[in-house]
Formats: sequence, structure tokens, C-alpha cells
Amino acid sequence: MSTAPPASGASGPAPAPGAPERQAPRGPRSAIDWGRVGLGLAAPLLAIVAALVITSLIFLSTGDDPFRAFAVMADYGVKSDSQIVIVNKAVPYFLSALAVAIGFRMNLFNIGVDGQYRIAAFFAAAVGGALALPGIVQIPVIMIVAMMVGAVWAGIAGLLKTTRGVSEVISTIMLNAIAAAVIGYFLQDGRLAVRDGNIIHTEPIPESAHFFEIPTGQAPVNGFLVVAVVVGVLYWFLLNRTRFGFDLRTVGRSESAAHAGGVGVGRMVVTSMLLSGAVAGLVGMPTLLGESYNYGTDFPAGIGFTGIAIALLGRNHPVGMALGALLWGFLERTGGRLEFEGYAQEIVGVMQGVIVLCVVVAYELVRRYGLRTQQRKVGERLAAEARNNGKTEKAEVSA
Amino acid sequence: MLYPRPPGPMIASGPTDLARSPSRPVSRPAPFPRGECAIKASSSSSRADRAPAGAPAVELHGITKRFPGVVANHDIDITVHRGTVHALVGENGAGKSTLMKILYGMQKPDEGTITVDGEQVSFAGPGDAIARGIGMVHQHFMLADNLTVLENVVLGAEKRHGIAGRARARIREISDAYGLAVRPDVLVEELGVADRQRVEILKVLYRGARTLILDEPTAVLVPQEVDALFDNLRELKAEGLTVIFISHKLGEVLSVADDITVIRRGTTVGAVKPDGVTRKELAELMVGSELPSPETRESTVTEVPALTVEGLSLTATDPDGVVRTVLDGVTFTIHQGEVLGIAGVEGNGQAELVEAVMGMRTPDGGTVVLDGEDITTAPTRRRRENGIGYIPEDRHRHGLLLEAPLWENRILGHVTEPPNSRRGLLDIKSARADTRRIVQEYDVRTPGIEVTAASLSGGNQQKLIVGREMSHHPKLLIAAHPTRGVDVGAQAQIWDQIRTARREGLAVLLISADLDELIGLSDTLRVMFRGRLVADADPAAITPEELGSAMTGAAGGHLGTDAPATPPMSQAPPAPGVPAARAASGAGAGAAPAASPEGPAAATDDPAGAPAPGPAAPGNRREGDA
Amino acid sequence: MRRVTKIAAAGMASAALILTTAACGESSTESGGKEKGVGLAFDVGGRDDHSFNESAARGVDKAKDELGVEAKLMTAKNNETEADREQRLSSLAEAGYNPVIGVGFSYGKSIEKVAKQFPDTTFGVVDSVSEGKNVDSMVFSEHEGSYLAGVAAALKSKSGKVGFIGGVNNALIQKFEAGFVQGAKDTKKDIEVVPEYLYPNNDKGFNDPGAAKAKAKGMLDRGIDVIYTAAGQSGAGSIEAVAAKKGAWAIGVDSDQYQQPGLAKYKDAILTSVVKNVDVAVFDLIKSVKDGKPLTGVNAYTLKEDGVSLATSGGFIDDLRKEIDAAKEKIAGGEITVDEQPKR
Repeated sequence: MSTAPPASGASGPAPAPGAPERQAPRGPRSAIDWGRVGLGLAAPLLAIVAALVITSLIFLSTGDDPFRAFAVMADYGVKSDSQIVIVNKAVPYFLSALAVAIGFRMNLFNIGVDGQYRIAAFFAAAVGGALALPGIVQIPVIMIVAMMVGAVWAGIAGLLKTTRGVSEVISTIMLNAIAAAVIGYFLQDGRLAVRDGNIIHTEPIPESAHFFEIPTGQAPVNGFLVVAVVVGVLYWFLLNRTRFGFDLRTVGRSESAAHAGGVGVGRMVVTSMLLSGAVAGLVGMPTLLGESYNYGTDFPAGIGFTGIAIALLGRNHPVGMALGALLWGFLERTGGRLEFEGYAQEIVGVMQGVIVLCVVVAYELVRRYGLRTQQRKVGERLAAEARNNGKTEKAEVSA
Repeated sequence: MLYPRPPGPMIASGPTDLARSPSRPVSRPAPFPRGECAIKASSSSSRADRAPAGAPAVELHGITKRFPGVVANHDIDITVHRGTVHALVGENGAGKSTLMKILYGMQKPDEGTITVDGEQVSFAGPGDAIARGIGMVHQHFMLADNLTVLENVVLGAEKRHGIAGRARARIREISDAYGLAVRPDVLVEELGVADRQRVEILKVLYRGARTLILDEPTAVLVPQEVDALFDNLRELKAEGLTVIFISHKLGEVLSVADDITVIRRGTTVGAVKPDGVTRKELAELMVGSELPSPETRESTVTEVPALTVEGLSLTATDPDGVVRTVLDGVTFTIHQGEVLGIAGVEGNGQAELVEAVMGMRTPDGGTVVLDGEDITTAPTRRRRENGIGYIPEDRHRHGLLLEAPLWENRILGHVTEPPNSRRGLLDIKSARADTRRIVQEYDVRTPGIEVTAASLSGGNQQKLIVGREMSHHPKLLIAAHPTRGVDVGAQAQIWDQIRTARREGLAVLLISADLDELIGLSDTLRVMFRGRLVADADPAAITPEELGSAMTGAAGGHLGTDAPATPPMSQAPPAPGVPAARAASGAGAGAAPAASPEGPAAATDDPAGAPAPGPAAPGNRREGDA
Repeated sequence: MRRVTKIAAAGMASAALILTTAACGESSTESGGKEKGVGLAFDVGGRDDHSFNESAARGVDKAKDELGVEAKLMTAKNNETEADREQRLSSLAEAGYNPVIGVGFSYGKSIEKVAKQFPDTTFGVVDSVSEGKNVDSMVFSEHEGSYLAGVAAALKSKSGKVGFIGGVNNALIQKFEAGFVQGAKDTKKDIEVVPEYLYPNNDKGFNDPGAAKAKAKGMLDRGIDVIYTAAGQSGAGSIEAVAAKKGAWAIGVDSDQYQQPGLAKYKDAILTSVVKNVDVAVFDLIKSVKDGKPLTGVNAYTLKEDGVSLATSGGFIDDLRKEIDAAKEKIAGGEITVDEQPKR
């Protein structure tokens, strides 16, 4: 059926579309569209400039010299040991952002990454401390336990959404609190933990299960960086190159169109929550397998929320989020230095907030601008065509 | 919508005669030069009542608007005289609504002038337009369901007459003066569509409008309601008010308008008087060339059932918990090469039927069999893979990803099928190539396949959807309002594609509000009312009037039996025989012929369905019969 | 759009990479000076937490006045990681501050690590036992002080119900709970002691006065009329709530909270405070370094040597002096052993 192109003879009232349109589809792909590249760069640049201006104003309002502050940050941030710290900080942030982004891509707001990674890391640590297998087996076992626990924890929210219509925002916030309580219950001397001075933590995992490190001249880089990069690539591939990813993005763009297009929206919600939770399960792994080797009361919290900010910052794109995670690490690393230099350390929190806000606003502005220009372009094209046709027809009428 | 007209003389003149003929003034120039208007533009806004009788109520000159996505307005000239009903006609997407938004202050023109009561004005927003006595009744009503009529009317105009007794008295007064029969204390949710429309009109009058813009007011009404509306409009006119009436339904326009301005592709192409023009001339002026026809010519219906639906029933729960039956024992069969048209006033279960067949809703009972395979419980994706193509009613919600590029839209709904993917992985290269093919073959006018679907005009979006669905060689095509909001050119193409595919054995389930489209394309017609198929009809033997009255639940069983024994369509000779039967029964139906001063055309108001020489059967068929 | 973002991102990534390689080799720890004075890193809540950090700060202030040393004070943020704490301590050590003191047990691990990197600097950690020959571990017998608070609470309560609010349910705060409960029960057999925590395992419990206020209100509504709060800065919230109810008493912690200007409005409701003489310990350490005989190893500050004590400001427990002194004697004499962990 499709073999028969619409007979142009039948479309009488539509004046022959004319040659330009026939060729049109080839147009924009023949060369680099500099206008669009510029548009793509505009948002991050706009955001960075705006963030710098706003933080400068804040510095000035407190009577500090913003340029000296930026210089301190830049100077300290590029030091080699700072770079190692920044990369090590960025790894869990990036994983957390990926977990959040999976939800974002289908319009699910998984606020619960925080609870998911903590409960996942806790049980993984408990299992890891109880087993003594060869490292090559034990490390995957620990990671799989973490991913499964994270997936289950997130999956609860997914199921609640599809079966009971509970907003995932509410349920994941609740699950964060429940996760904290569950950990608090089991993280007691005599339950799943041991006491070590004022800190209570799980049994340390055996040395064989410590993750490899990438040696540098000084402090090592956490080997989990490799896992993070792999997960980032998988994320990109899954979303952009597979049917599943297309379905997922379709739901994110228009649930109604996805439904009509044959995507089981409910199943998709549960599946993507499971995936998001599984990735969230990995967030605690760089710390557990490469740093603390146990889950204790001092295990870092709040990375799940940082992930939300970074996912926003990186527009759910793996490269964007990687840069965002590094930027976050940079700000935190240099923020400590700012305090040392006599600035209020809260300024870093302000900067982070301002950057996220600026990025969100800038992307939205640029997106709207882009859409408008595109519509105008298409509209003008068709209008010009209509005008030409109109002239000929008017001529006919008055002939 | 539907006005059978008494037989009249045969019209032979073509569109080119129209403009030349001195008896049909193509009036455009303003009554006095521009500068003069500007000088007079100093008095207060209340001059509406005192303005010299000669000054037109509204005058638009040289209006140009570059507007994204759809056809822009350019060089628009319109003069609307006080105390008249002025119709603005043009096909869908010609720029009528944009123009009215400009007049109502919702859009600013890029060029050109607006003159109200001889005074040049510039509107910053609807508020300015209202202050100048211009009011608008939108196509989609803007009423709060959970408020009373009174509350809706005074909402935002509390300062005029308060919100209680005085306002109620004023509403009664207006209602009586123009025969609107509006009851101020009824909840809007209890009102029918026609009543709501009258409330909207009253709302505008309450705000002091002297010039009313009605945007496609009849689109939502059944024929009887249209008559009532027109009576209201005549009352308004008699009271010295001015009505600007936007429509693409020529019969209506000819029956109610005093002046007609035709817009085509964004510009005014003529100003005519209704008594000096025929429907056909008007239609051709509107479209600019010979009209397309939805009529199928020879039957291709086979004996092989493609889709069998039996006893399909569905209930839905309202937000307030009431369980409602939306589909009740729906049973039908569509054969290969058959187009089954379902007529019905919107909201009688057609949308639900489509969704049940698509698998988007789970029916409570009944079976759906596609090409011998029971798909009652199959998920939507399986049904699509098994050969159901779907042109959804609301393409923005169900057919497109507006912010995604065209090639991703090409994948939508068919992600599991070639050329879009192979073994779970997307095949982006093939999908892009195939998108380019669709763009070309289906004449989707776009600068490229990377633009977002949102930037295309409605017609081009629809062409893309049709191209996509047809590209997967469906066994069954579900076409819900396939040409709604689509320009005439695209409409003709879409009809053509449906016809071509039908010839090759495609079964089509057609839902449409356009009765001419239904009658013209369908091989079999069923009427749906309150979730049940209440009547069936032979499209060759039924008139839109009969169909319209069946749609209101007034008739059941087999329709059109009083017509002369017309042979079934499958055996009918091409074209000429069909309109004969139609015209005959149309005359017999006698449904309120109201004011139909001229025009022999039998049934249609829609330009699309307007009588026209189809490529296969040239000649003025319907007129010729009369 | 996505394609474009990709190009932009790739550009930025490569720029970042160039930056990385260019800067390689130079480490931030390669600079530094000598003998700058005391470097002190607070736990969350900061210097003005009216409690634990403030007590440490008093020690530093005293050292400034009496020993003429300079001091640099830094503060922890919520949700910190080990790396952040290490960075803070090493930046102090590397800048030449000596001693470098971490206030709070969360510095326990990081002190151990950083102390190894700076063998010539003396480190001090409060509330934690850390290994290292250049580390002074200052630990306090909070449970013993809390026992006395329990005695006072039991005697003052009219309703026979007293409450305990812990900031975070960790081993340290459990010491406070255990002592308090034991002291109360030993004084009055039938007294009801309600222990509750703000957070199971989040340091936020030490600077969330809102949560403490809500928790205290709940307790008051249940008829509890003496509330002992061990929650750092959060304690101010609990004291505020108690002050609003007539006849109810708050027991403060770490510093003599009656004396604190920030809490002056509520001081008439502050029965007493379990004072942890962190200032004494901090001062001792600074002095020892200044004198060239740095303290190292575990230094316990118990009730016996007035490392912990019960404040008497306001005179609200003057009538109980007899019973309190008796209890104190029994503990000091070893007659009573106070539990470090609550019996559950």
C-alpha cells in the first residue's frame, strides 16, 4: 500500500508543492549547523556566567572580594591532590545522578535515591562482612546485593504508583525515612553491627573484597571510577539505542502517546524504578568497597539529593552529568579551602544552588527560544510559499 | 450544518467569472481614506453608539501576521458594517482564527491597521478590545462548570453590575432582549452545549459588546441547535449589533450572513454578498481550485472479515464514582476492502470503541477478532504488530511526541517493527531514511526530519501520521477524524490514501464528525448513540439530514429505506446514481429547511464535502440532479 | 538539541582534561608555614551551638588569653564524607597549626589518618579514641554526669515522668541516656523514664532545633515534666519548648546552658546542665604543646576528676545538693558503676 505515493493529480487544491520542498529533507544534515551548536553552548555558558555574577554579588554584599575567592578556588582546585579528591567525590555523585536521570527521562521524580543507596549499601556491607569468598566472587556478590536491595526499595514506590496511584514523590520520601529507620534498627551492637568506640558499623568486609585502586603519584583514585564510566555508557546506550530506551523516553515525553503507541505505561514505571533503584544501589559502593569497608554511623548520607541536582545540571545526559559531578566535587573541595581562607563556607552551598537554578532557567529559556525559532522558520517557509501561491491565484481570479 | 435546499437553477459559472462579474461586488476599499480615520480617532470609546451611520463597525486593512507553524496572515482587508452578520469563511488553517485573535487583541499584527467605528485602534490585549465593544465567543467554551450561569457571567466583570440582584436583572434583560432564554441560577454543568453557547454570548453582551466574534459556533451543535443559534443572531442584528461569524460551512454562511469575506491561505480573496453567489462558487473561491470529494467510487468490499467485534461492552467510572456504560453490546464486522463509518454525536462512545479495539481500554465483555485471531486480551503493541494502524482523534495527545524530531515520531508506535529496530536495538539510520521517504511520498512540508513535530502545521503532522501508519501495511486502519483540523490539500491526500489502501484490501474503521466524509468514504454506515450501535445505513441511500437525526437518537434500525430502491453501493454505477438517491431522500426528509434562499446543493456545508467534480466523474453531479 | 549538547559536552570534557594534565604534579600540600597556633575543627553546629563545640571554643579562648596563642577555627557541614574531614584537618596541619584538634568523634578516623601524614604535629580528638603516637584522645564520662542529672530529674519531677532526647542514636549519646536512666531509677524506683532520639543515624540530629522542639512538646503533652536533651545545637529547641510550659524543667548538656547569652530568655527553665569540661581538656592540650610536653594517648575526664559535672547556676538544684553529692561520692568511690549502654 505504501508503495503508492499519493497521486499528485488527486491533490488538486494543494498547488504543486514545488521543487524546494522536495529537496528540503536533505537540508540541515549536509553541514554542521552552527546556529544550533551555538544554541547548545548558549545554555551552559549563560548559566555559568549568571551563577558567577550572582555569587559575586553575594560576596560583595558580605564585603568580601569575589575575585580573590574565585582565584583561591581555581588555584586550589587544579592542584593534583585536589583533582584526585574531586574525581573520587564525583564517582558516587555521577552514579547517583544516573539513578535519578533514569527516572527523569520518563517523568518520574525518584527522590528516594538517597534511601535506596543507603539501605543497599547497608545490606551489601552486612553480607560482605559475613562472607569470606575470593574477591573475584565476593565483590560481584556485594554489588549484586546492593543493586537488588536498591531495586526492591525503589520498586516498592513503582508498584505503589501503578497499583494504588501513589505519587512516587511522596512514596520515595517516605521510603527514605523508612530506610533510615530500618538501618537504625539493624545498625546496633549485637544485631548486624559491631561497636567501635563511638561509631557502630557492620563487620568489615575482608581485604580480598576491597576494590582495586588506580595508583597515582599521591593518593589513589577509586577504582570504581571504571564502573561509573561503564554504567554511564550503558545508560546512554540503553536509552538512546534500544527499543526499551525508546519506550522509556516516549513515556517521559507523552504518556498518552506512549499508551496509544503500545507501551505498557504501568510496567514501564515499575521497570524504570527498578533500574533506577539498581543504579542507586551502586552509589554507596565506591565508599564501601574502596574507602570505609563497612557501613557505619559515619557512612555518607545525602548523595541521593546531590544526584538530583547533578541530573538537572547535566540535563540527564551522561556527559553532562559527569561534568556536573566533577563540578560538584570541585566546589566542595574548594569550598573547604574558602573557609580556610576566611570566607563563609556556606557560600559553596549558595553557589551550588545558584548554578542549578541558573542552569534550569537557562536551558528552559534556550529551549523555548530554539522551539520558537524553529517554528518560525518552518512557518516562514510555508508562508512564503503560500504568498507565492496566493499571488498566482489572485492573479487568476482577477484575470 | 445541514440544510436541504429547494431545487434551483443549475449554476454554470466558475470561480473565474465570480470576481469579474459586476453583480458580485468584491468590495475592499474603505469608505474614506485612511488619514481621515486617524484624525477622527480622538473621541471616547462610547462613540460606538453615536458613530456616523456610514462608518463601518470594524475595518481591517493590510493586516499581516507572521505566525509560527501555520499559514500567516498577509494583506488582509475586511470591512464589517454595523448591524450585519458578516461571515468570514475559509478552509481550516486559512488563518481565520488568527485574524480574529488579532481583532480581539490576543495577537498583535505585524503590519496593518484596525479601525473600530471609524477610529484607528491598537489593542494591547482582549481588555482593550472589550473596552471598544468587541467581544469574542470562543470555539471552546470558557465556563466554569461548578459555578452558576450568573456567577460565570459576572466573573471578571463584577464592576459592571455587581454580583447579585442587579447583575441578575441585567442578565434577564439581555436574555429577553435577544431571546437567549438563559436562566441565571442554573449550574453550568447542567447545561447542554447549545445553552452553554448562549451563556457565552450573553457573557460577551453583558460586558457591553456591540460587535460579537463567533469562532466556528456551529461546530459543536446539531442541526436543530444551529437553527436556534441563527435565530439568536438575527435578533442581535435587529437590535443593531454586529456579528462576525467564522465558519467553513458554506450552507450556514449563505443562510445567515449579510456579507461574506473569503480567506484563502492567509489572505482575503474576495468579498461577496450571499444572494450573489452560489455555494459552489463560494467553495471554489475558498479553496482556489476545484474541490476534492471524499466519495469512493467503486466498491472493493470482499467477503473476508478483517475485524469482527462482538458484544463489546465497557463501563467507566466517573470522577464522582458513578459507573456509566459507555459501550453496550457493540457488534460489527469489517471486511477486507471495506470502510465502516461510525456516525454519532461526539461523546457517544466512539472514542471508547476505538480505544477498546486498540487495546487501550479493557472491555468488560465481548470479543475482538482481527484477521481470524482473537485479540481481545492482546496488549496494544501486539495489536499494532498484528496489523492495526491508528490515526488518533487527538494527534497531539495520542499520535505524536511534539518535542521530538520527526524521525523519532516515525518510530512512535512501531518501535518493534522494521525498519525502526532490529533485535531490541533501534535502527536509527533506517528509521531516518524511512522518515525521509515518508516526508517525500506523503508530501509532509518540512525543512527536514530533525525539526520537532510541534513546528509543523496540523495538516503536515497528520500527513506524517498517516504515512507512518500506512508504512506498516496495516490490515485494519482505525481512522478517527482523520481530516479534522487539516487543510483541504492534505484532506484530499488523506482521503486518497485511504481509498488506495482500501482498494488493496485494507479494512477501515472510520469515525468522523464530518458527515460528508463519512457518507462519501464509507461502504457501510453505523450510527452510534449512547454506547450502542442503534442504526445502520447504506451510504448510497442516506442523506446527512437523516444521519443527523439518527445521531440524536431519533431514528433506529435501517435508515434510508424510504428512498427508492437503490442498488447497494457495490453494484451501483459510478457517481451519478448516488447523488440521485441522496437528493431524493434529502428532499423527503424535510428537516427544517429554514432560510435557504438559493442553491440546489443537497446536503453539505463543509467545503470538503461540497459538491464538486471528482477526478473520476467530472461534472456538477448534485446540482445536475436537482 | 541532544546532538548539540553532545558536541558541547565533548568540548568541555576535553578542556577539563587539558587542565588536568597541565596541573599535574603540583600538590596543594606542598606549601605551608610553621607554628601558627591552634587549629580547631568543630563538629556540625559550629562554634555557637551553645553546647559541645562552644565548650571547646571556650578552651581555645582561654588559651588565647592566658598563653597568647593564635587560633584558627573551622566547622563541619552536614553530610560530610571522610575526605572532607581529612581535608579540613590536613589543611590546618599543613598551614602550620599545632595542635590540631578535632571536636567530636566523627573526626576519630580522619585524625588517625592525618596524624600519620604530619608526625610533627600534635593532634587532639574529643570523644574518640584514636590511634597514633602524636594523638591526644580526650574522652569524657558523660554517663557519670548524666547519672547525676537523672538523680536531679527524679527528685524534681512532680508527675513521676521524665524524658531524655538524644540527637542521634549513636553510641556516644547512648552513654548519656544510660547514665540518666540509671540515675533516675536508682533515686526513685517507680519513676518513668522516656528516652527518645531525633534521628536514628543522621548527624543532622545535632543541629535541628526544630525537631528537638517538636519532640519536647510531644513529651510535655504526655505529662513529662523534666527533659534532658543531649543533642548539641538541637538542645536549644527542646529548652525553648520546655520554657514555654510552666512547671517543667529542662536539663542542658555539655556547657552550662544557664549561663549562655543565647538561651538567656529560657534560663529560668534550665534546671541544671551536665557540663562536659571540653574546655579544660582542650586547654590542657594546648598548654602541653606550648610547654613542649604534648599530651598523647587516651586522657579520660571522669566525674572523679571533674571532667564532667553538674552545673548549679540559677540555684534550682541547691535543695538537692545532699542527694547529688551522695551519688557523686558513690560513683567516685566505685560504689556505683554507671552503665555506658542503655539496658533495653
